Amino acid sequence: MSLKKFSELFCDLDSINSTNNKIEVLKNYFLSNDPIDNSWAIYLLTGKSNKRFISGRYLKNLFSQIYEYPQWLIDTCYLKVGDSAEVITLLLKNKTNSRKKKLSNISLNELLSETIPTLSKLYEEEKNLEIKNLWETLPEDNHLIFNKILTGTFRVGVSIGLITKSISKLINIEEEIISHRLMGDFKPSIESYEFLINKNINLQELNSKPFPFLLANTFEDKIFKNSINDFQFEWKYDGIRMQLIKRSGNVSLWTRGQELVNESFPELVEKMSHIKDNFVLDGELLVWNFKEQIAFDFSLLQKRINRKSPTRSIQIKYPIILIAYDLLEINGRDIREIKLENRRIELEKYFSKWQIKTENNISDVFKICDLIFPKDWPDALAYKEKSRENNTEGLIIKKKTSIYSSGRKKGIWWKYKVDPMQLDAVLIYAKGGSGRRAGLYTDYSFALWKDKELIKFASAYSGLTNIEIKELDKWIRKNTIEKFGPVRSLKPEMVFEISFEKIQISKRHKSGIAVRFPRITKWRKDKKINDADSLENAYELIKKIS
Amino acid sequence: MRTKQEYLIRYKDGNLYCELAGIWIDPSKPVKKALITHAHFDHFTFGCEEYISTKETAILLKERVGDNIKIKTFEYGEKFKINGINISFHPSGHILGSSQIRFIFAEEKWLISGDFKLQKDQTCKQYEIVKTDYLISECTFGLPIFKWDESNKIANDISKWITNSPEKTSLLFCYSLGKAQRLLNEISQTNFKGNIYSHGSIHKMNNCYRELGIDIKDTIKIENKKKIDELKGSLILLPPSLSKGSYLKNFKNIQTAFASGWMSIRALRKRSGYDKGFAISDHADWDGILEVVKKSEAKNVFFHHGDSEALSKYLVEKESINVLLFGK
Repeated sequence: MSLKKFSELFCDLDSINSTNNKIEVLKNYFLSNDPIDNSWAIYLLTGKSNKRFISGRYLKNLFSQIYEYPQWLIDTCYLKVGDSAEVITLLLKNKTNSRKKKLSNISLNELLSETIPTLSKLYEEEKNLEIKNLWETLPEDNHLIFNKILTGTFRVGVSIGLITKSISKLINIEEEIISHRLMGDFKPSIESYEFLINKNINLQELNSKPFPFLLANTFEDKIFKNSINDFQFEWKYDGIRMQLIKRSGNVSLWTRGQELVNESFPELVEKMSHIKDNFVLDGELLVWNFKEQIAFDFSLLQKRINRKSPTRSIQIKYPIILIAYDLLEINGRDIREIKLENRRIELEKYFSKWQIKTENNISDVFKICDLIFPKDWPDALAYKEKSRENNTEGLIIKKKTSIYSSGRKKGIWWKYKVDPMQLDAVLIYAKGGSGRRAGLYTDYSFALWKDKELIKFASAYSGLTNIEIKELDKWIRKNTIEKFGPVRSLKPEMVFEISFEKIQISKRHKSGIAVRFPRITKWRKDKKINDADSLENAYELIKKIS
Repeated sequence: MRTKQEYLIRYKDGNLYCELAGIWIDPSKPVKKALITHAHFDHFTFGCEEYISTKETAILLKERVGDNIKIKTFEYGEKFKINGINISFHPSGHILGSSQIRFIFAEEKWLISGDFKLQKDQTCKQYEIVKTDYLISECTFGLPIFKWDESNKIANDISKWITNSPEKTSLLFCYSLGKAQRLLNEISQTNFKGNIYSHGSIHKMNNCYRELGIDIKDTIKIENKKKIDELKGSLILLPPSLSKGSYLKNFKNIQTAFASGWMSIRALRKRSGYDKGFAISDHADWDGILEVVKKSEAKNVFFHHGDSEALSKYLVEKESINVLLFGK
């Protein structure tokens, strides 16, 4: 029965939009199935392996051959459906009314650990026969899952984070621990599932846990009243905030979103594991231009974030660095309660020790952040204005006497960003490009919020890479609300950071503002449309510069 | 071969037209005489001088157009003559009152299928096989990926969908005439025993069905300011036009679904914006269309309403049936 249950799970997950409901459904699935099937379910859902046993084309040809079905008809259907596994599943509804005894009791485990592996070892003719046999004996509800696993296209809107959350809820243990247990190779077995849901936490797991992150507040003018000497100044890098932990020999790398990302940055984990000391570092991960000693654009970092086990060539193409700005724990001693200026002394001391004492050179993956020493506040402002030149977003200002508490604690750390001449706006129209960009939608219009309405405020053509243009074009075609000649109005969903040189009041525009040289500087996939800026934000910007 | 102008029935200004009888079939603009296959909005228009339809369609039509239209009615199978052409209505199984229309002139038989389905539907007469020489058929779902499940299976899925979320209000979107009544009929035979509400437009059609002797479960007309707690665990039938816009703000903690044949395709389901899709249709699926084409014994087939390219090619290649192009 359990393959059927998994098919139902797939159906449910596919039709639920709310994260909480998905977690609930997963939790119930885990509660009502065998450990071994649960472990396969996790394996499939987390996309730990999307091995392709046969190609979509092969599947379509096979169907055509077995049922003497015209290939062109299958291809026409494919155009409507867009997925080989699904096309064949739908077509099979017409074909499998055979009287053969149904394999209604096959389990997910049987299918994945026996049936399919055996199948893939057969010669073509036998293999084809066996697939036909399975099509005719598997209950109809399971065809989609079966075809998708065969073609390596099993995907459903479930992230590893969601699995982590549902298991965490199931056994009432913190997500960080589950995250750690799910790290690395997950081989489906009863043992691996039982390890995952074990209620006893071992020492190593406890050791990997990060501290709550301390966050910076937006700079306030009243800070100018204080002496400049009370503060430590750093560049504000535009990377990913991380804690790098090494305890009892094991390194773990955590994002602020509580995600364990060891697998994405193996070169960092490798090198740091050679250091003799144990420690917890707080810092920023960046793709680094070693020649000029400045950060590359955030967009390059995106090439690394979601890629697990990056190849050597990816590692070389997008070299990463962790820039540490704080030391929170050293050789088992939690030093968050000592003053920042003293923590900094420790950090510098250990860094120079590690540089000399460590067998391989850690400086190509790791450094500590440089400090800036402005003479007075006007000098600090001058530094801030220069931050664009070295690809930073401004300054981070920290009180030297502060301890490392948690959350967005007031009066400790501030971010002082360069006056932003940019707004996050929602894409609402697209128009076809011409010439090299013919056939693609490359001219975009962007809108800002006014109460609950989106008002167009700028059009922009440049700033996206060719790959991004293609991706966006695909999205545009799928999310068109209406066509007006060459222009399409779009479902408001995509947020972009729009930068410009000048902003002023203008009566000619519906938005009441005009911007000069607008351009796209970032595709903010991380933002929802409600996070986009409002016209009010734009007016504030005008006030600020005048 | 005859030229297009010489066919008994042909396209004129985008509508089916029989010149000898001076009569239009389901015209989209006001004309003198209009034969109406059924009362869906895309099959009639306001302002024709005279309508001709089945008795059931006439009642539904009056509900939609108004009482003061001139309308002549005939029973299924009853023959009548216009300008020497024999005409009759035959059940098409699409919705209550829906019909195929047969024309006989000079020994030549023509059949306009109207919208049709072969699946069982307790709210209307079963499709009747009618023999013909020329068949003009709809082909909304003219691809073999469309293969409908039994409607009681879908109804059970709907019932499960509602009862699995007792804390929620389940909004099911469906066409207000035909689909809504078929769903009500099917759902009343499932395990779901909670309250069913329906939107005014659906409520009105339910009453028409009842007047015409069809057994439709009683539903409560949904008022705008219902208490949220009252709606918990119940089903509300709404027309698809209300799925976008502010109407949904009247409800809290909802789940939505759309009942339509298109929902059998995952990508369309995902794009539709509804939480769930139930693939149930009042049109024939691929096998249904093929069956009708074959059983009608038509030597010549025209398709309209839908993308007919693949279906035509298939019939020509596999069944050696002559598929003609109408040209709008």
